[in-house]
Amino acid sequence: MMRFTAIRLVEIAAMLVLMSFVIYALIGLMPGDPIDLMRSADPRMSAVDVARLKLAYGLDRPLLERYLAWAREALAGDLGYSRLFAEPVAAALLPRLGNSLALMGSSFVIAFAVALGLGTVAARRPQSRLDTAINLFCFAGVSVPTFWLALVLILVFAAGLGWLPASGIAAAGTSDIGDRLRHLVLPVATLSLASAGGYTRYVRAAMREALGQDHIRTARAKGASEARVVFHHALRPALVPVTTILALSFGGLVSGALVTETMFAYPGMGKLIFDAVMGNDYNLALSALLLAAATAMLANLAADLAYGWLDPRVVYR
Amino acid sequence: MHGSNVFREAGLSHWRVQWGLVLGFGFSLASAPPLEAAERDALAIGITQFPSTLNPNIDAMAAKSYVLGLALQPFTAYDAEWKLVCLLCAKLPSIENGLAVPVDLPNGKKGIDITYTIRPDAYWGDGVPVTSADVVFTYEVGRNPQSAVSSGELYRRISGIDVKDDKTFTMHVDKLTFDYAAINDFVLLPSHVEKEAFADAAQYRVRTRYATDPTNPGLYNGPYRISEIAAGSHILLEPNPHWAGPPGHFKQITVRTIENTAALEANLLSGTIDMVAGELGLPLDEGLAFEKRHPDAFHIVYKPGLVYEHIDLNLDQPALADRRVREALIFGLDRDAISRSLFAGRQPVADSFVNPIDAGYSNETPHYHYDPAQAGQLLDEAGWQAGPDGVRRDAHGNRLSLELMTTAGNRSRELVEQVVQSQWRKIGVDARIKNEPARVLFGETVPHRRFDMAMYAWISSPENVPRSILHSSEIPNDANGFAGQNASGFKSEAMDHLIDALEIELDQDKRNSLWAEAQRLYATELPSLPLYFRSDVFILPKWLSGVRPTGNQSPTTLWITDWTAQP
Amino acid sequence: MKLPVLLLAAIAIASFAGPPLAAALDIDPQAVELLDRLAGPSVSHPLGTDELGRDVLFRLLKGGRVSLSIGIAAAIAAAALGTAIGLAAGYLGGWTDRALMRATDALIALPLLPLLIVLAAIDLDKLGLPARLIQSDDVSLVRILALTVLVGWTTSARLVRGATLITRNRDFVRAARSLGAGTPHILWLHILPNVLGPLIVAATLSVADVILLESVLSFLGLGIQPPLASWGSMLSNAQELIATAPMLAVYPGLMIFLTVIACNLFGDALQQRLDPRQRRS
Repeated sequence: MMRFTAIRLVEIAAMLVLMSFVIYALIGLMPGDPIDLMRSADPRMSAVDVARLKLAYGLDRPLLERYLAWAREALAGDLGYSRLFAEPVAAALLPRLGNSLALMGSSFVIAFAVALGLGTVAARRPQSRLDTAINLFCFAGVSVPTFWLALVLILVFAAGLGWLPASGIAAAGTSDIGDRLRHLVLPVATLSLASAGGYTRYVRAAMREALGQDHIRTARAKGASEARVVFHHALRPALVPVTTILALSFGGLVSGALVTETMFAYPGMGKLIFDAVMGNDYNLALSALLLAAATAMLANLAADLAYGWLDPRVVYR
Repeated sequence: MHGSNVFREAGLSHWRVQWGLVLGFGFSLASAPPLEAAERDALAIGITQFPSTLNPNIDAMAAKSYVLGLALQPFTAYDAEWKLVCLLCAKLPSIENGLAVPVDLPNGKKGIDITYTIRPDAYWGDGVPVTSADVVFTYEVGRNPQSAVSSGELYRRISGIDVKDDKTFTMHVDKLTFDYAAINDFVLLPSHVEKEAFADAAQYRVRTRYATDPTNPGLYNGPYRISEIAAGSHILLEPNPHWAGPPGHFKQITVRTIENTAALEANLLSGTIDMVAGELGLPLDEGLAFEKRHPDAFHIVYKPGLVYEHIDLNLDQPALADRRVREALIFGLDRDAISRSLFAGRQPVADSFVNPIDAGYSNETPHYHYDPAQAGQLLDEAGWQAGPDGVRRDAHGNRLSLELMTTAGNRSRELVEQVVQSQWRKIGVDARIKNEPARVLFGETVPHRRFDMAMYAWISSPENVPRSILHSSEIPNDANGFAGQNASGFKSEAMDHLIDALEIELDQDKRNSLWAEAQRLYATELPSLPLYFRSDVFILPKWLSGVRPTGNQSPTTLWITDWTAQP
Repeated sequence: MKLPVLLLAAIAIASFAGPPLAAALDIDPQAVELLDRLAGPSVSHPLGTDELGRDVLFRLLKGGRVSLSIGIAAAIAAAALGTAIGLAAGYLGGWTDRALMRATDALIALPLLPLLIVLAAIDLDKLGLPARLIQSDDVSLVRILALTVLVGWTTSARLVRGATLITRNRDFVRAARSLGAGTPHILWLHILPNVLGPLIVAATLSVADVILLESVLSFLGLGIQPPLASWGSMLSNAQELIATAPMLAVYPGLMIFLTVIACNLFGDALQQRLDPRQRRS
C-alpha cells in the first residue's frame, strides 16, 4: 500500500504539471484579452494605450514563454502577483480559501450527515410512506436551481423576517466570530439543502443493496441486533459508492460554489476562480485551479485507499 | 418546497443545531431594519462591481471611480447639468479669463497653455497640503510607459508643466481642442506617499500604496478616506479629518458589492444597504419592476445618460451596403413601442449618438417613425421581393437573412433583440440571433468585423467628438491593430472633415452647427441604427436628499457633501 | 414501474406534440406581443404570458423538447461512456486502470468555464460542420450536448470502477473465470448487473444536473440562443422577475421536478428488475 501511495503521489505531481500547461493554454486561448475589453468600457483609451499596457504586463510575449516563466517561478516558490487583486497571489488566495473551507466544509458535513441519516432510514423501509417522503425531498433538492433557492432564502429570512443578513461575510467594521457565523447561516443552508438530496439518493441505493446481501441475512439469523446489522455489517460495504461521491465532492471544498457565492456576495474560491479566469489573471487562476485539482486528485487517492479498507474483497493489481 | 412533515422535522433538527450555535454565542438575531426616527449618520450603498485596485490611474473601472469619488477629488468634472466645474482647482481656466492662452507651436499647429491654481484648502488625509509637486509627480507617472497607467492620451497631450508656486502651475498642451479645460482624468497622486513606490517604474503597479496600504489616510484628499477594505465584499469610509471643505453628513459610509441584481434588491429590502447606486445598479427593466412592487417605500430616480444603445450595421455586408435597406430596417422598427412596453418610456428613442441634453444636440436630425409600409417599399426598390416563407429574396434567390448579435447573458438586450427580430420578420427580414459572451463579441467578433448586425452601447462624455466611432481612419484593420471602434466601416469624407473641424472649434455656436450637420449626416447614412440612451436607476431611501445623478461619467459621489439625511 | 414510465411518456409526448399543436391552433409560441406582457392565466393563455407576451404553456412544452432531449441524451451517453471506462479500469486493472483514472482526474481538474468560452468562440465552419446546421437554431443545443457528454462521464466512471473492484473478486466471478468464460461475457453477465446500483442513481441524477447546468450556462451567457426556450433558460430569465411574476420560475421548475421524479423512479424500478440479488421487502 505504501508503494501504491507513493506511485500515485508521483502520478499526481505529473498530472499537476500537465494540467498547469493545459490550463494556461486554455486561458490564453480565450478570445478577448481584458486589456482589449478595457477599451470598450473606457472611451478615452487608445490603441497606443492597449499596446503599452500589454507590454507593461508582459502580455506581448508568446504563450509558451509566459508559461515557462510562470512555471520556473512557481517551482521556486514564487506564485507571482495577481493583476486583478493588486497583491501577491498568496495574499489574495488565502483569505478566500479560508472562507470557502468554512462555507463548503460546513455544508458538506451537514449534507452528508443528513444524507446518511435519511438514506439509511429510507433503505430500511423501502416503499413505505417515509421512503416516499424522503425521496420527494431528494428530488426537490436535486431539481431546484441554486440561485433560486438562495434568492428565496434571502427574501424570506433576510428581507422578509429580518432574522439573518442578506449578504457578505461580515458586517462592516466588526470582525467577531458570532457575526461571521450569522453571515454563514443562509449560504450554508442553501448549499446543504441543494446537495443533501443527491447524496441521500446514493446512500439509500447503496444501503438497500448492502442490506439485501447474504451476510446480512446470516447476521439477522444469528440474532444480531438491528443496530449492529445496519452499522456494522451493512454500512461498510455500502460506503464504497458513498466514498466515491464524497471524494468527488471533496474537490469542491477548494473550488467553491460560484452561484451561491455570487448570490450571497460571499467572497470565496468559486468567485475567485471565475473572476481570475475571466480576467485573464494567469497567476491567480493557475494557483487556484491547481490547488483545486490537487485536492480532487488527493481525495480520489484517499477514496481508492478507503475501498481497500471498507471492503476487503477489493484488491489492486 | 415540496417536502412533507418528515422533511421539515429532519431539516429542523439541523436548523436547531445551527441556531443553538448562534444563540450559544449570545448574539441577538434581529438585524437592524432602517431606523425610523433617530439621527442617521451611517449610509450603506450597494453596487454591482468591486474595484480591483484603488490606484486612480491604473485599470479604469466604474466601481473604482464611484468609490474614489468619495475620497479623491479630480481637478474638473461634469456636474449634473453637464457643465464643467472646478473641484480641486480654484478657478476654471478659460481663454476669456486669460488663464488659458492659445499658442502657435513650431509644427504649425495650435496648442494651448493652461494655468490652474489648486484650492488653498486642499489637504491630503495626513495633513500634508496638496501642492504642484503632486501634479508634477502624477504627470511623471502618467508619461512613463512602464507605469501601467490605463489612459495615456491625456499625459501625451501635455508636453510640459511649469510650476509657478506651490499651488499654481501651467500645463502646455500640444493640441487646442474646445474642451481644453477638462482635465477630469488628471487625478492627483500624493507624491509624498507614492514617490517611493515609483522608484522602479515597472514595479509601480505592484508597489503602489493604493494596493499595499489602501487605508493610509495620506492617499486621499476628499471629504472621506478609506478605513477598511474587505476584498470582494465591502469598503468602509470615514470622514477625512483634514478635509477643509463643507463636511459630509455621514460619519460612516459603507459601499457593498453584490453582483447579482436580484440579490441586490433583496439586500435593499432587508436593510443591509440603504440605496442602490444608479451607475452600477439595477438595469432599467428591473428598476421599473421594483418600483411597481414598492411604489412608496423608496425614492426612485431615473436619469438618462451617455450610454448610447445602437445596432451597428456592417457596411461591407452586401445587403446592408445599400442605404435603402438600412432605412427600411429602421422604418421597420417600432422603437416607441419597445420604449413604452419594456422601459415604461424611461429610455426615450435616440435619433443619433448625441444625447438630447448635450450642448450639441440638434432637433433637426431626421427622425424615423415606425412605418412598415415605407420599409416594404424601400426593400422592393432595393430589389428584395417578397418570398414564399415570408422572407424577402433578391434577384438571385438569396434570402434576406442576417445575423443579429449582442452580449449573451444581458437580459435587457436579449429581450430587445427578440422584439426586434419579430418586428423585422413582419417586413420580410430574417434576423438570426447569435449572441456571444462579451469578451468574445468585443474581443474578436466586432474588432475583426465578423458580424452583420451587432447591438451594443457606446459610452461617451458631454460633447464627445465621435472620432473613434465614425472617422474613416478608425475602421479596425491590420494597420491599426484592430483597435479602432468604427466597426461598421463608415467611410465618409464629409464626416471626417466635420470631426476634424469639431475638435478645434472654440466657438459654441459654430460648433453647434457642425454638430447639427454631423447628426444629420449620421441619421441619413445610418451606419448604425439608433435605439436609445440607457437610463440609470437610482433607488434612494426616503430619508436621503441631495443626491443629484449626473447622467455622465462623473460619479454622483463627487458631490457627497451635498447629501443629507432627514431624521 | 408503470407510473414513472407513464409520467415520463406524458411529459415527452406533450413536449413533442407541442409545436404541431400550436400550429394547428394557430398560436405562434415565439410571437412577441408587447402589449400582453406578463399576463395572468386566461382562456387563450392557460398559464399566462411571459416578459415578451409569449404564451407560457407552449414555451414550456417547446422548452421541454430541448431540455428533455439534452437531459436524457446526455445522461445516457455519459453513463454509457462512463460505464465502459469504469468497467475497463476496474476489471482490467494495472496500466489500463492507471491511465484511465489519470485521464478521469485530468478531466475533473479541468476548469469548465474557460473551456466553454473557448468552445463558444470556435468558428464552426472550420470544423467542417454543414452550413445548414451552423445556421440553424439547434447548433447551440448540439454544442451543449457535446460538452456535457465530454465532461459528464467522470462520475459514473469512478462509481462503476469502484463497484467493479469489489465485484471482480467475488466467488462467482472467479468461478466463471476458471470455467473459461471470456472477459466480455464476464463483464456483461456478471459484473455489470452488480454495478448498476450507483450507476443508475448517477445517471438519473445527472438528468436534472444537465437541465440545471443549461440554466447556469444561460446565467453566464453561454446557453442556448434566444428565442429558443428551454426549461433552464426560462428559469434563468425568470430570476429577475421572481417578485413580479414568480410563476414564471415555478412552471419550468415544476416540470424539471416532475421529470426528475419520473427518471429517478424509473431508475429505481429498473435497478430492481435487473439486480439479481435485490428482493422486494
